[in-house]
Amino acid sequence: MQSSIFHGIKLVFRKEFLAGMRCKAAWAAIFMFALTTLSCVSLALQGAVLEPKLQAALFWMVLFFSSMTGMDRCFAEEEMSGTFLPLRLYGAAQAVLFGKMLYSFFLLLVLALFISILFFILLDVGSVSLPEFLAVALAGVLGLSGAGTFLAALTTGAGVKSGLFSVLMLPVILPVFLPAIFLTGRVFGGDSMPFSHLGGMLLYDLLLMVGGSVLFDYFWYEE
Amino acid sequence: MMTISFDSVGLSFGAQRLFDSLHATLPSGQITVVTGQNGSGKSTFLQLAAKFIAPDTGKVVAAEDGSILQKDAFRSRLAMVTPEWNLYARLTAEENLRFFLGLRGMELSAEEIRVLWERVELKWEDTRIPLAGKLSTGMRQRVKLAVLLAVEADVWILDEPCANLDASGWEIVLRAARQAASEGRLILWATNDPREEAAADAVIHLPWN
Amino acid sequence: MKYLSYLIPMLTVLTCYLVFAVVPPAEGLGELVRIAFFHIPLAWLSVLAFLMSAWWSAAYLRSGSMRQDALSACSAKLGFFAVLLATVSGAMFSKLTWGSYWNWDPRQTTIFVLILIYGAYLTLRAALPNPRKRARTSAVYSLFSCLTVPFLVFIIPRLYFSLHPTPVLNGDGHVDMEPVMLATLLLALLDATLVYVWLLFHAVAKEDPHEP
Ligand SMILES: Nc1ncnc2c1ncn2[C@@H]1O[C@H](COP(=O)(O)OP(=O)(O)OP(=O)(O)O)[C@@H](O)[C@H]1O
Ligand SMILES: [Mg+2]
Repeated sequence: MQSSIFHGIKLVFRKEFLAGMRCKAAWAAIFMFALTTLSCVSLALQGAVLEPKLQAALFWMVLFFSSMTGMDRCFAEEEMSGTFLPLRLYGAAQAVLFGKMLYSFFLLLVLALFISILFFILLDVGSVSLPEFLAVALAGVLGLSGAGTFLAALTTGAGVKSGLFSVLMLPVILPVFLPAIFLTGRVFGGDSMPFSHLGGMLLYDLLLMVGGSVLFDYFWYEE
Repeated sequence: MMTISFDSVGLSFGAQRLFDSLHATLPSGQITVVTGQNGSGKSTFLQLAAKFIAPDTGKVVAAEDGSILQKDAFRSRLAMVTPEWNLYARLTAEENLRFFLGLRGMELSAEEIRVLWERVELKWEDTRIPLAGKLSTGMRQRVKLAVLLAVEADVWILDEPCANLDASGWEIVLRAARQAASEGRLILWATNDPREEAAADAVIHLPWN
Repeated sequence: MKYLSYLIPMLTVLTCYLVFAVVPPAEGLGELVRIAFFHIPLAWLSVLAFLMSAWWSAAYLRSGSMRQDALSACSAKLGFFAVLLATVSGAMFSKLTWGSYWNWDPRQTTIFVLILIYGAYLTLRAALPNPRKRARTSAVYSLFSCLTVPFLVFIIPRLYFSLHPTPVLNGDGHVDMEPVMLATLLLALLDATLVYVWLLFHAVAKEDPHEP
């Protein structure tokens, strides 16, 4: 049973990855979105230096909204192309959820890397403790992909889709978002990072995944 | 011995009352055909039987040897072909097949897959390119049939499985369904074609009311 | 149910009388203290309605009864109004005492997150046309959004500095309020809760004619 779930997760991830690699447009849209927003801000600032706190807020805003454009598709696309029901028939709930979550995590990780590099170049961030920054970014991305994948599934069947996903996402992700901004601000400012906050974030990430996993069965096997 | 039974099932879409106290028992080992005009509720009947939608009143029960099957247990015994369902357009026929089989924990050897493509009369080269690029509607229907044949499900729910198929495709479906019924599987088949109706062991005519 | 229809108006009149005629102006806050007797029950209702909505969502997932779904939805609608009114009354109070409508105080942040959750839940419901799918999906979302509760309780107060008056019941269980005010407040809370219960079951009974 255990091994069959892992096998299922691997299959779903591989399928997402293959389909994703063959659709360059989807990737291009996400990355161009991130690039556009960031360069807009950078242009508007004209080299003015932002406070670390503002920089952190900006970083997470750009990551949040770019990830929205990527993640809301992960079930909507299945629904539009008529593959959602066969997936529900053949796939077990947990395998599908975690397979897709893994792919979202991977996607967001690449996206976060891309945004960070651009961010450091365009916005002149001071010297930063890299391990601490990576730890916060990882914890944030974990929460985003965990909640995002689950909530994207809930928007299937909705008449109005545009915007719905972000509306559902925001209240649930605030507990990741606010500490992430707070911690990133400290890292950008060169201050030491309170590890209890990072632990809290990771705990909440875990809570999101466990909660999502339990509730997903109710959603997946519905009539 | 598996059965799906409808127990005074009622279902409406808004003001439209589609079924009212519908009773039916679908036993395994035979082909049950559902017929009726367009919009009479064939597809909806099949969705109810597959437990993809719940009735407003009454219930649909799947049982094996007298004991009731839970939703996820039932679903893992089911295979379905309907016109609304699609395969992944960005994957090849073979990747699609391996993906869906894999989800059921099945794996086929290259030889078995070659035999399967032969059975649905698809050329091997055609199964190696993404569906979106190459396969016609009828050819995609054949890939769906290949998945159906390969998963060895105990319950087959077929909604117009011969749609878009030529005469040879039609033969394949009919032969496969006959054989599956003789192996003791439960076949539920919605169609408007009188020739397919002739192949049935039992026929349900809709509308019910 | 019938008794409630008589009890509620009487209780409401009594509460209003106490609030406007009996309660003395508080030192430092003056007449403004009267706002608190609307604000606190509304804030209580918005939390109560949220938890009850989640409770009925869980009940729906277990039983599949559409009545539970209606109760959950109705509770959320009432809670949404309560949370809006609580926010407005709180912002007024804040403007009159501290000079600004909004300052992201922990309690304001908490209530803001509640507004977001209620808004998201009701938007999700409005976007799903199929009743069963709507019931199932919104129940799942309602329970999922409950995961933020520990965050609201434990994390926000550590991230933000507060101007908000300490809650009536302090951490050490000590009540610092005059007996008249406390009695009035408790009465107002009871009244608000009864109004919530009455409105809820009234609305659900109207939707569902089979209800006895
Ligand atoms: N999701 C839905 N919402 C509203 N009405 C629906 C829905 N699905 C089906 N119906 C209605 O139910 C009736 C039966 O539809 P169904 O698809 O079951 O017919 P059918 O017999 O399969 O038709 P066809 O021969 O065209 O495939 C139709 O009148 C249709 O309008
Ligand atoms: Mg049909």
